[in-house]
Amino acid sequence: MHNDSPFHRPDARSAINRREFLWQSGGGLGGIALAAMLGLEASAAEPGVRHPASVYPAKAKRVIQLFMSGAASHIDLWDYKPDLIKYHGKPSDFGEPVEAFQDGLGPWLKPIWDFKPYGQSGKMISDVVAPLGACVDDMAFIHNVVGKTGIHSQGTLLQATGFQLPGFPGTGCWASYALGSLNENLPTFVVLPDHRGFGSNGMKNWDSAFLPSQHSGSIIYPGSDTPVADLQRHRSAKYITPASEAAAQKLMNTLNLEHAATREGDPRLESRIRSYELAAKMQLAAPEALDLKAEPAHILKLYGLERGPQSWPAEINAEEETFYFSQKCLAARRLLERGVRFVQIWSGNDNGFPRRNWDSHEDIERDHGPLARGMARGTAALIQDLKQRGMLDDTLILWTTEFGRMPSTQGGKGRDHNPYVFTNWMCGGGIKGGVTVGESDHWGYKPADRSSSTLVYDIHATMLRLLGIEHTKLTWRHNGIDRRLTDVHGHVIDALIA
Amino acid sequence: MAGDSLSFCYVSLIILTSLVSAALGAPTPDFVTEVRPIFERHCLNCHGPDRQKSGYRLDVREIALKGGDKEERPILPHDSKRSPLIRYVSGDDVEMSMPPLKSKSPPLTRAEVATLRAWIDAGAAWPESANAKVIAPLDWWSLKPVAKPTVPVGGQNPIDAFISQKLAEKHLKLSPQAEARTLCRRLYFDLIGLPPSPQEMDQFEQSLVQDSTAYEKLVDKLLASPRYGERWARYWLDLVHYGDTHGYDKDKPRPNAWPYRDYVIRALNEDKPYARFVQEQLAGDVLFPNTRDGIEGLGFIAAGPWDFIGHAEVSESKVDGKIARHLDRDDMVGNAIGTFCSTTIQCAQCHNHKFDPISQEDYYCLQAVFAALDRTDRKYYRDDSLNARFQELNRRQTETDTALAVIDEQLKAKAGKRYIALSKMIDAASKTPSQTQELAHERESMLLSFADDSVKKKRVDLKLEKTRIDTELHKLPAPSLVYAGGVHTGNGAFAGTGANGGKPRPIYLLARGQVTLPGKEVHPGAISALSFAPGRFSLPPAADESERRAALARWVTDEHNPLTWRSIVNRVWQYHFGRGLVSTSNDFGRMGAMPTHAELLDWLAVDFRENGGSLKRLHKQIVMSLTYQQSSAGNPKAELMDTSNTLLWRQNRRKLEAEALHDAVLAVSGALDLTMGGPGWQDFVLEHPEHSPHYEYDKADPRDAKTWRRSIYRFIVRSQMQPFMTALDCADPSMRVDKRNESISPAQALALLNNGFMVTQSVEFATRAEREFGPSLPAQVDGAFRLALGRSPSSVERDRLNLFAREQGMPNLCRVLFNLNEFIFVD
Repeated sequence: MHNDSPFHRPDARSAINRREFLWQSGGGLGGIALAAMLGLEASAAEPGVRHPASVYPAKAKRVIQLFMSGAASHIDLWDYKPDLIKYHGKPSDFGEPVEAFQDGLGPWLKPIWDFKPYGQSGKMISDVVAPLGACVDDMAFIHNVVGKTGIHSQGTLLQATGFQLPGFPGTGCWASYALGSLNENLPTFVVLPDHRGFGSNGMKNWDSAFLPSQHSGSIIYPGSDTPVADLQRHRSAKYITPASEAAAQKLMNTLNLEHAATREGDPRLESRIRSYELAAKMQLAAPEALDLKAEPAHILKLYGLERGPQSWPAEINAEEETFYFSQKCLAARRLLERGVRFVQIWSGNDNGFPRRNWDSHEDIERDHGPLARGMARGTAALIQDLKQRGMLDDTLILWTTEFGRMPSTQGGKGRDHNPYVFTNWMCGGGIKGGVTVGESDHWGYKPADRSSSTLVYDIHATMLRLLGIEHTKLTWRHNGIDRRLTDVHGHVIDALIA
Repeated sequence: MAGDSLSFCYVSLIILTSLVSAALGAPTPDFVTEVRPIFERHCLNCHGPDRQKSGYRLDVREIALKGGDKEERPILPHDSKRSPLIRYVSGDDVEMSMPPLKSKSPPLTRAEVATLRAWIDAGAAWPESANAKVIAPLDWWSLKPVAKPTVPVGGQNPIDAFISQKLAEKHLKLSPQAEARTLCRRLYFDLIGLPPSPQEMDQFEQSLVQDSTAYEKLVDKLLASPRYGERWARYWLDLVHYGDTHGYDKDKPRPNAWPYRDYVIRALNEDKPYARFVQEQLAGDVLFPNTRDGIEGLGFIAAGPWDFIGHAEVSESKVDGKIARHLDRDDMVGNAIGTFCSTTIQCAQCHNHKFDPISQEDYYCLQAVFAALDRTDRKYYRDDSLNARFQELNRRQTETDTALAVIDEQLKAKAGKRYIALSKMIDAASKTPSQTQELAHERESMLLSFADDSVKKKRVDLKLEKTRIDTELHKLPAPSLVYAGGVHTGNGAFAGTGANGGKPRPIYLLARGQVTLPGKEVHPGAISALSFAPGRFSLPPAADESERRAALARWVTDEHNPLTWRSIVNRVWQYHFGRGLVSTSNDFGRMGAMPTHAELLDWLAVDFRENGGSLKRLHKQIVMSLTYQQSSAGNPKAELMDTSNTLLWRQNRRKLEAEALHDAVLAVSGALDLTMGGPGWQDFVLEHPEHSPHYEYDKADPRDAKTWRRSIYRFIVRSQMQPFMTALDCADPSMRVDKRNESISPAQALALLNNGFMVTQSVEFATRAEREFGPSLPAQVDGAFRLALGRSPSSVERDRLNLFAREQGMPNLCRVLFNLNEFIFVD
């Protein structure tokens, strides 16, 4: 049976074959219902229902993307620059005119924290992210990533969607579209926003845009009263009880079946009936997945969560950052274990005051300090936890931010935006550990080799390759263009791949 | 020059599906994997799809072998030694070295030259699948002039005649007319987006028996209802990506966007001729001066997202500022040409359009149309006579300011260094106002000492005039504001062009779309390949910026424009049937779909244009057809022949869109507040508005009756889309949406079951049932069922419903009714 309603968005015209049509109609959660419609009761995870762009053996099955909102400083966290220590306080001279976002380029500013070598690779990282020292031999750093503008909104969209303007699907949406779901009771792509709220562009960073909506990032707030919107009845509706709910489901099912019986040839009617069954399953599955208390004490301790929520001081502080970030990391692991494909974890809210994100124009130590400590503790625990479960092998972790920060001050203790070079790192999921690919120059101002830098397209192409996908083939026709995550660019970074 | 961009030809790039292996003995270079990449790297820039210097190109086999303008064959198969191409690319021919030394393309490596030699010596095999075709640019259905085809015989309504003809080719025919109640519910939801009341249903069913015009009367009644504009404006706002916040970083509210939304509703309700509707949105201020609609319509230009930080914190002199403004104009161009002409103009931003005859220059000429504009609050009056007075005073003010500026510039030139010195002193003393004032006086009298008496008098007169105008302006009531495209006068980074008298910014053809690579300056125009009107607007150099928009508005609404009229009738058709006659309604280009009924489309387009561009007439024409009135029931035989019903052997069952569903819930629950217009209702709590607003939907009270209005009046946030409406596939206000996504998912089921709006309205509905049908539970159950579904329950259904209601209560029963397929689908 076919979904023959023209109200249904996917246009068979642009689909090359039946298999692609299925995918265009939406893999993932909604796609299951659709697969049923098409008489293909196949789960997306089964072979034979692969997206046509899945042409490589997949090294990674899952992705965790860590996004530092506000622009985290590469030179204070990952990218060691001895010359900045040597010339600290001297007037900055970039050797060329520099257009900075807020103008005012002060003297060179050394890294706020000391750097030390870790692991067999001896990778130098900052004291403020010291917990990750234990993981550096599994991590691969890219120090020559370049952006396109120093404007937060555009920079964030570029890293999150591959385009500078809103209206394009997030990375997780593409992964969801390509790979489909591993668990029909949970979303394929989950977003864990900063507990204070969204960063630049809000949902535009994980929206499905022109892809079918089931590929949108589903927002979850672990540890909150309503971690998933509308999962349970609205707090005001006391009249809904477990008994009424069961009776309602039964009555709806009966009436809907009778309605469908007189309207043959419209599979949407059956899909909706099935969507209520799946919803009921999700109501059970989601709370179980998010029940962090079910974790043993040593795991909670690993993440620094043994003390639970506290009353925190008003100022930004490392303990609070650790609690919230680690909570998301642990929730992410539990979700991945249960078949979620892609989890995006955000650190940092909007660019407001007092600073609650990484946009440290005024004082790196004040904002980056707590944020970085929290991020490092949670991330290190996550990597180690995945590793001990054997999940790191096929879980890719990608750390990113919209751009870097300048090697000079802005006159005070902060740093201005640096879209000219910044750092990403990847870990697990087929990544070669302990390597650094691409260097920045001795100031951390631009790529060391200006003729060769890494673009977000390359990062995304590499991510897709590790997922078994040829990035040039993962397309969706929209307004006359076969759109890709990597636009018309992107080279897989072979040196990163184990 | 206008004609230049026409000189290139268009190719349709053949997508390769297979690679030809040529592993026969000695390795002969494979064209696709080895030879063509060399051409692409070094040659195609100047001898490819976009440009053909000397008429030569290396992507089309025949031309590559035969040569261009020169009388020689560049490639002689099996003879690389004598092939001129090898001489050129090897550098052996110093005069004709290719690529030229000064060009950006790198010279070929020795290995590459060797590959070309080997390929030629092996016979220069060039598979057909890798051969680009030269196609006449205008040889495409949507670019050909629209002519009214002859209506086929059969069927009173021309629509039925065209549809039946195509069906007959497949031995199919129209399904029987749907029954009265189905027709009634269909018409209500389609035309006004609300369900009929049970009384309206009954009445229609009865009158249809006696009165053959009952259906037509209902159509007329619904089209005359103000609810019609509220329903159909939503489609238009989807297309133009309207929102009440800026989007991007910070996502600040736009408190004055809504007058444009109200304008669209009003225009539809008044059945404004389509050409005028288009013209008002592009250039209403100049084509219909002093009218309210002429200003409010310009909200179209500003409807899309806007990068606040990229404008307010970064000046145009910086690269980032240039990028932000470039992207802003890109959005304006895309909105204008995408909405009105169903053309993917933005593809030509970095290079000539790969598939359609749109040059990169065309694209930048369109940017030039909007070059003076920003998104800004425009002052105006809703009262046309006040507006006329206001605009007149503004005009005089500009004139006076300009005249004064001319005099002052002359005096400043005469004063020379003394003026500059004093000005510097004034700047230096900016912190002590008294001193500043003193110095300003000194500078004024110094300037006047250079003026003769007649100039002095003129200057005094002008200053008096300025005071008079100010006084007059002050007498006017406070003006209204609409967020629209306009000349912005601001400070700091977001200065706009106001201080320059609204002089358009120069627009350059940007190589690869990079603001750092400007080429030649371009002037206002549109798509030059279309021959119905000049592709470059002839405007006097001193013309006001608004003349550029007026020229574009005339170009778009030209009666011979092949795109505009087809575009709108196709869109209207799509909203009535679920699919356009062209299924890609935003793309009539070569990457879009072909029309399923090309003749019907053209017939409708011409008929629409010839009859004043009346949308209501078009709606009526469509819904009066038997094609529209068919049953939506399945038919196995027809399904076999035409699975996706492209030929329309039945009507398509429709799933209610987010807004129709939301409004239907309110209408059925009895809570619907039909207040029209004004600022959008907000179902969120706004936090941190001072910097980066948070729109907290979860903190709002769904029992707040202020939020029980029609969804067209909802305040639309871009960065934090309303979760309930989003679960129901409402349009993303950051994208131009020609067709909604339609999904069915567990998340959607959960939203309909548990969202605060739904559970609150279930209680409202139960309260209404008790109010209207009395204390008897069976009466309430019956009444509620009829309200929700427009029919009485069968006796089996009645028993089940009553049992449930007795055990779980009416609010739970009402919640069930709202979640039924029968409520959510329209047959």
